Amino acid sequence: MEQHATESTVIEFRDVAYTLPNHQRLLSGLNLQVKRGETLVLLGRSGSGKTTTLKLINRLLIPSAGDVLVNGSSTSKTDVIQLRRSIGYVIQEVGLFPHFTVEKNIGLVPRIEGWPADRIRGRVEELLQMVGFESKLGSRYPHELSGGQRQRVGVARALAADPAILLMDEPFGALDALTRDQLQREFLALQQRLNKTVVFVTHDLREALRLGSRIALMETGRLITVLPPEDFLRSTDPLASAYAQALAEASVPAANRGTS
Amino acid sequence: MNLFHFILQNHEQVLELTLEHLWLVGVSTLLAVLIGIPLGIVSARWPAWNRPVLGAANIIQTIPSLALFGFLLPVPWLGDRADRLAILALTLYALLPVIRNTYTGIRGVDPAVVEAGRGMGLTDSQLLLQVELPLSMSVILSGVRVAVVVSVGLATIAAAIGAGGLGEFIFRGLAMVNNQLILAGAIPAAILALSADFGLGWIERRLQPR
Amino acid sequence: MKQSRRGWEAYRAVEALFKARWQISILLLLSLLLSSCSPPSHNDRIVIGSKNFTESLILGELLAQQIEAHSQLKVERRFYLAGTYICQQAMLAGRIDIYPEYTGTALTAILKQQVGGDKQQVYQRVKREYENHFGLTLGPPFGFNDSFALEIRGEDARRLGLKTLSQAAAYAPQWRAGFGYEFMERPDGYAGLAAAYDLHFASPPRVMDLGLLAPALKARQIDIAAGNTTDGLVPALDLFVLEDDRHYFPPYEAVAVIRQQALQQHPQVAQAVADLAGKISDQEMQKLNYALDGQHRDVKDVAQEFLRSKGLL
Repeated sequence: MEQHATESTVIEFRDVAYTLPNHQRLLSGLNLQVKRGETLVLLGRSGSGKTTTLKLINRLLIPSAGDVLVNGSSTSKTDVIQLRRSIGYVIQEVGLFPHFTVEKNIGLVPRIEGWPADRIRGRVEELLQMVGFESKLGSRYPHELSGGQRQRVGVARALAADPAILLMDEPFGALDALTRDQLQREFLALQQRLNKTVVFVTHDLREALRLGSRIALMETGRLITVLPPEDFLRSTDPLASAYAQALAEASVPAANRGTS
Repeated sequence: MNLFHFILQNHEQVLELTLEHLWLVGVSTLLAVLIGIPLGIVSARWPAWNRPVLGAANIIQTIPSLALFGFLLPVPWLGDRADRLAILALTLYALLPVIRNTYTGIRGVDPAVVEAGRGMGLTDSQLLLQVELPLSMSVILSGVRVAVVVSVGLATIAAAIGAGGLGEFIFRGLAMVNNQLILAGAIPAAILALSADFGLGWIERRLQPR
Repeated sequence: MKQSRRGWEAYRAVEALFKARWQISILLLLSLLLSSCSPPSHNDRIVIGSKNFTESLILGELLAQQIEAHSQLKVERRFYLAGTYICQQAMLAGRIDIYPEYTGTALTAILKQQVGGDKQQVYQRVKREYENHFGLTLGPPFGFNDSFALEIRGEDARRLGLKTLSQAAAYAPQWRAGFGYEFMERPDGYAGLAAAYDLHFASPPRVMDLGLLAPALKARQIDIAAGNTTDGLVPALDLFVLEDDRHYFPPYEAVAVIRQQALQQHPQVAQAVADLAGKISDQEMQKLNYALDGQHRDVKDVAQEFLRSKGLL
């Protein structure tokens, strides 16, 4: 995993550890680089430290040891508000502001950044189109939308100020299988178009294989291995192959299980 | 003559006392809001302040109102004017519901919303002013509603120390053993409390987040 | 850098406040308006207050009818206010314009000063202080003094030829005394009186309920009691009030306290009040009190009758 940081390294973890006040270790000895334009998936079980890793990037959590660098500068030395405004953040519960319309939700960061009103309007229109929303839905409130629609708005909101980096924490986890599949496809199309640097957290191997350009496998706070999807299924690493096995078994119809 | 005629005949006095009453309640509630909401925000944002702030407000509420009036009477600047004293006491009593509801309202905002807001790069004050306070408005207003209704009741007792208001009718009526006078004070006071409760409750429902 | 982040946050806080400047200034304006608001002033009417006992009520009603008769003003009555402090507060807040008070009470209870001097001096002192500090002034005294009074049976007074307390002191060792609780406890009550007149009773004075003093005196259970100089029952039960010739008790002259602003707005009031100066003697006040307490007559009738008898109505 020791790669040399190059100019195309957007996010870098150097020996990062995160410990809770009660001395519980959530993360130890993390060394990781995220390259420009790639979709790095953080894969692991609950408690593996993947969400913690994500939150260290936009400094929602502060590392107990080591250094997190974004675009070459340590996050401890940059203004945290500016840092967060330059990174899009999408979470599983979406967290849309219930008292704002879809348009106001999406346009919030541009508004507080002081963009002129018509530029904001234009950008909101553009984003609604990008996530496949009819523009008339822009004046709806979050409670009037379905789960899938809400998450689309969440993604649009995260992209509003055109950040170069996107952090996504199990964004499709709360949706039904069909909607999830649809949104995954839309995500891939969006990535093709926009080419953002994405760090994507999931516990679902299939999602990881589908969306990621590289998969970083994590377990109990440690980075186990980082592999591109095609190499993942063939990996000899015990944890990786356990995952692959589980995936294979899950794909077999129930009647056939136990015969091979 | 029956009560209705009595009030009609003395309508000027009834009106004057009602206005005095409203003034006592209005000023004290406004002060309680101006002091209480920031205190509620502080205790929600920095939990270390939670115990002392809510604790102090709780203690004040426990003191019987007439006793509090009595404590404050000898105080130099305050005791000189009964309405000043009454307004201070009413403000103190109105603080607890306002502080507590502000705290509850802000803490009650969906944590996902707060996390999303933080992650997007909202500063603490932007988060507070644009997200947390608007979403807590209904709960905060409910606290204000309680404060107003309590104040209308306490202001009637304030007449015992000379602050005026509808309670004066009640006390004079008691001294004269005159039921009409008592009711001429008690009924408008009750109507005031009920209207405030109803009116503010209506606004509260309009403000509830969907 | 923590510092720059705090500075950044503070800037944004101010920025947010600035953005809300309209709402904030409206709120501030409202609070200023509300706090400077005072209760409506009385332009075409005058409000008369009284305390919650008979004598104060009668004086209030006399003032009310007097002003009604001698001016075009509408008079509003706010009687039975519960005590000196309440009346004073109502005056300061402009809720009442006139009420009857006693010079001694004003001096000790409101101005919180020591008593001293004769009734003229006390009156002048109170008037001056009220005018300087409160924007209030005093009308001329009504003509009677309502202070503590040592009462004996009328027959004893006549038989022994007693008129003053000094004369009565000689008989004290043979008498039993009855006093109210407050008179016993106050330093300017029994203790001071006994010292001033060198009173020695055979046994310690009995402490009784105020209302029982007069009947007990009449029934010969006690021989001397402390009441009020203008008690309504004094003439009815043939009791005699001994004169306080050593001026132990401070003067409690009954006067009207008036708001100076009300006087400026309605100058006719001054004349109406002045017409009552010196019109009520101790005995006359006793009779008026008795009409209400003893005969249970209506205060309006009693007041009207009295004013007619004085040629004021």
